[in-house]
Amino acid sequence: MADAAFSPAHAAHADHSHHPTGWRRWAYSTNHKDIGTMYLVLSMVAALIGGAMSWLIRLELAEPGLQFIQDLQLYNAMVTAHGFLMVFFVVMPGLIGGFGNWFVPLMIGAPDMAFPRMNNISLWLLAASLVLLVIAGLTAGGPGTGWTVYPPLSSASFHPGPAVDFAILSLHVAGASSVLGAINFITTIVNMRAPGMTLHRMPLFAWAILVTAFLLLLAIPVLAGALTMLLTDRNFGTHFFVPAGGGDPVLWQHLFWFFGHPEVYIMIIPAFGIISQVVSTFSKRPVFGYLGMAYAMCAIGFVGFIVWAHHMYTVGLDVNTRAYFILATMIIAVPTGIKIFSWLATMWGGSIEFKTPMLFAVGFIILFVVGGVTGVALSNAGLDVALQDTYFVVAHFHYVLSIAAVFAMYCGFYYWIGKMSGRQYPETLGKIHFWITFIGVNVLFFPQHFLGASGMPRRIADYPDAFAGWNMVSSIGALITALATFFFFFIVFRTLTSGERVAANPWGVGATTLEWTVDSPAPFHTHELLPDIGAAEPAH
Amino acid sequence: MATPDGNPASSARRQRRMVAAVLFGVAGGMVGLAFASVPLYRLFCQITGYGGTPRVAVGGGYALATGPQREITVRFDSNINPALPWRFEPGQSSIKVRLGDSALAVFRVENLGKVALAGSATFNVTPNKAAPYFVKTQCFCFDEQHLAAGQVADLPVSFYVDPEIANDPNTRDVSTITLSYTFFPAVGGKAPPAAKRPASSTADGRQRTGDPATKG
Repeated sequence: MADAAFSPAHAAHADHSHHPTGWRRWAYSTNHKDIGTMYLVLSMVAALIGGAMSWLIRLELAEPGLQFIQDLQLYNAMVTAHGFLMVFFVVMPGLIGGFGNWFVPLMIGAPDMAFPRMNNISLWLLAASLVLLVIAGLTAGGPGTGWTVYPPLSSASFHPGPAVDFAILSLHVAGASSVLGAINFITTIVNMRAPGMTLHRMPLFAWAILVTAFLLLLAIPVLAGALTMLLTDRNFGTHFFVPAGGGDPVLWQHLFWFFGHPEVYIMIIPAFGIISQVVSTFSKRPVFGYLGMAYAMCAIGFVGFIVWAHHMYTVGLDVNTRAYFILATMIIAVPTGIKIFSWLATMWGGSIEFKTPMLFAVGFIILFVVGGVTGVALSNAGLDVALQDTYFVVAHFHYVLSIAAVFAMYCGFYYWIGKMSGRQYPETLGKIHFWITFIGVNVLFFPQHFLGASGMPRRIADYPDAFAGWNMVSSIGALITALATFFFFFIVFRTLTSGERVAANPWGVGATTLEWTVDSPAPFHTHELLPDIGAAEPAH
Repeated sequence: MATPDGNPASSARRQRRMVAAVLFGVAGGMVGLAFASVPLYRLFCQITGYGGTPRVAVGGGYALATGPQREITVRFDSNINPALPWRFEPGQSSIKVRLGDSALAVFRVENLGKVALAGSATFNVTPNKAAPYFVKTQCFCFDEQHLAAGQVADLPVSFYVDPEIANDPNTRDVSTITLSYTFFPAVGGKAPPAAKRPASSTADGRQRTGDPATKG
């Protein structure tokens, strides 16, 4: 269908297929595929830095006492940098900037993003932001505030040096990049869908990016506002968060978590999108309950904005307020459950093929359910008062974010690398990578539930001897995960240098979305003549 | 998609720009809301007594007690920020007050420093749920306090406990309320290096009357 429409278009626009080369192709790029590729590369580089920090943290925590990191501010700064890097420079650029840029235009039949130059600005703002973050880490002992940057710890009295200011500027710039990207995605999806590609026929990954973009648009500016207040508190004598001047540090927590809670959905909803595509492709069936899946993401996004105070049960909220936030938080389990059950129902009776992307998709579902269950447990204020700031919380959010979101990124990589590079990954190596990673992350994070339940606090470099055993197990898990990560980079290398050439659609009848109708690797310009979906079956 | 000028491309572009303009507006609006949340949050705390923000009676009057005459114990707590070299103690550790009756408590404050200093006190009420019923009619915490070196002063606060507290099912069990103050160096702009700054330079004439509570 679209193949036929595509070829004459390509011929007619031969004079347009002006193809910049060398560094100009990348630095000045306005091409959604090249920008997507650069986002993915940035994400992988940041993942190595952020991963290295987490491995150092686990190395220190393997045994009680201080062995490797004597400087506790350095430890705090590494915990902080690990959080910032993984959230803003690994998961977001990977899932949204990388796969979003690459595949949203391809899936909805648009020739490129709505504002290609703005797309370029988004990318380079993020790169600049990464530089600022590295500067922050290298000045004045680094920001030892945790990614939540709570005052008064982040105020001038406890972090007098410029490190926190650099971190704030870094987040400002990263936020600007995200907001521009969000505006670009929404405009693209609202205005540039191919004829016949109604919203209710749009692939679920495009839906996921649409919902995510709205979350970014509404949440990031609040963070920007709060960061500006913190910056002026630190440098210009305002008192937004200083009690002596009539301010209130708890206000920071409200503003931060009004951003911070939607932020966790910003990281996981694109993952939902990828998993939906992959489960459907490898079960060779359309997604079960397509509309329910789409609106479940909208519901999660909406409810995500009205549950923020479940991160601050211990600040002295009154009992009715806590009751509300408990209820609202638990309600999120309903649309999330709809998604889980719909994936299972898609697989049920499907002709399932366990290629590497499908393994990662199933792994994602398992890990996300584990993290979701501990999330429902933690939503209870009574339990949370006991478990807050322990490793139980660390285990919870690493199950949902760190490993579920990263599984979705691996899943997307194996699913789409053929389309992106024109070369297929080595299947056996991919499966080995899955199993090492799956075992590694579970050995790494599952024992942290036990540690947290017995009271081990997070963000501390040392612990009593009683916690020694499971910490060693957890650190061994980190080692296995590290090996798996390096193995992944080896697979990337093998794929790009000696992977088999692939056809337009290597996955067969299950792959129904438009990106599989263009050649592999996807040509520089695609969908120049809009594919007409017409009365064809909805492409999900 | 064709427009009167017959150019579909420019029409599509205009439409895209319009969507983007609206979205930029939304993002800008959210930044505005983040800043607006500061006064809104204050207002919300004052109206609802959220987070232990006590009420301030406007007319200075007090409610007449009705119904059963219950007594409630009000305890007093005083704290001082280390940057302010003052001594600050309640003149009484607690008093018993009948619901609706006005009561007066006194706090003694002494400047131990060698220079005149200005301080201002922040306040809150525990349990938080009692805060909406704890009404101050006069309080030293409404204004900055200026003390010469070595000066001792007795600072008054008058208040009453709204009898409605006995009718609210959430607060019916409250028999003790703690009123807590923390004195900070007065700030006219920047947190002063303690004990260096003469009082006259810290006071910028800004009255803290009705200034928001700090907690909540």
